[in-house]
Amino acid sequence: MARPAHPHAMAASKPGRTRTAPPRMPPEFPMRGRYRAYTLFDATGLVYLLLGLLALRLAWALGDGEAAWSAAMAGFRNPLYLAFHALALVSVLFVGVRFFRLFPKAQPPKLGPLEPPSAPVILGGLYGAWIAVTLLLGAILAGGIF
Amino acid sequence: MSEVRKRRFVVARFDPDRDAEPRTQTYEVPCQPDWKVLDALNYIKDELDSTLSHRWSCRMAVCGSCGMNVDGKPTLTCKQAVEGYGDQVEIEPLSNFPVIRDLVVELEGFLEKLQHVKPWIVRAKELAVEAGPVRQSPEELELFTQFSYCINCMLCYAACPVVANEPEFLGPAAIALGHRYNIDSRDEGAHERNEIFRGEGTIFSCSYANECSEVCPKHVDPAAAINQAKFNAVIDWATSLVLPRGGR
Repeated sequence: MARPAHPHAMAASKPGRTRTAPPRMPPEFPMRGRYRAYTLFDATGLVYLLLGLLALRLAWALGDGEAAWSAAMAGFRNPLYLAFHALALVSVLFVGVRFFRLFPKAQPPKLGPLEPPSAPVILGGLYGAWIAVTLLLGAILAGGIF
Repeated sequence: MSEVRKRRFVVARFDPDRDAEPRTQTYEVPCQPDWKVLDALNYIKDELDSTLSHRWSCRMAVCGSCGMNVDGKPTLTCKQAVEGYGDQVEIEPLSNFPVIRDLVVELEGFLEKLQHVKPWIVRAKELAVEAGPVRQSPEELELFTQFSYCINCMLCYAACPVVANEPEFLGPAAIALGHRYNIDSRDEGAHERNEIFRGEGTIFSCSYANECSEVCPKHVDPAAAINQAKFNAVIDWATSLVLPRGGR
């Protein structure tokens, strides 16, 4: 038997005369079967929170001068940081692919006289923009631009 | 033609007069190869245990009565062949619903949610019969046809993780139905429904798990409807700020 859901899930606003058993959660929620991808998707929020804190730390180091910045950069060679960034990369890929897969059907069927482009066009645009931004940032970080 | 195969059906039981909690009971069922899951349940009811309670009616995936969790997945039992399952099949009532008896769930909460979105054509002023029918082009019809295929089987509510945690959530079928009328060219009630949609526990509670669409037996795609409704509700809100009389 699955664990209990919220006791008032799908209950009527006024209880009927018949005694009912309380509702149960979907049996596989949250970590088994179909729900695993959804739970992992939500869990990536924690990775982005940590990335945000890391960005704040770097901004702080930048304000403290060159020595502090160099020390922060040196700290990134720590294997734990490397592992965290590998995890962040996997998270971004996972979220990006899932979001892109679901994005086309979330478009409004019509906006005034305009209709959204077809799903392949939207997907092509999303992946194209992703690749272009990645290449641009890669070129900036490699010193090719600026 | 393949042989009759015996399967163990582990069925959830609950008698409100005797049981404090749901329990399970196991039945050995000789399944014919062409049976649906509902046929096995009817065999149990007719041949093994007449006290078992389950809902069904049309046997052709139209009435939406026979939704249950089969091996953990919300399933329309008259549509799902028993052949796809192993030697043991677990049948439970739909998740997220109070259970009246055995596999029969309480519908009242669901019906209240459906009614909340005004699932009918709303007109600012009713037309006289003499005015004739309100015409609609095939393109206008196509916009909402998919969302009108819902048979209210409630599988989407059983699959939705938000419904399980947030009881006031309107849920997939009700929002899809409201959206279906919002994009119907004959309807003039979109402002009213969008106000409901912008309230607490409605479209913005949906975190796009997409489970509703995965289990929908009629391919209504409620997740698409909810996320389209989000966009429309925001546009409606924005236009009501800038247009005279709230854009009405």
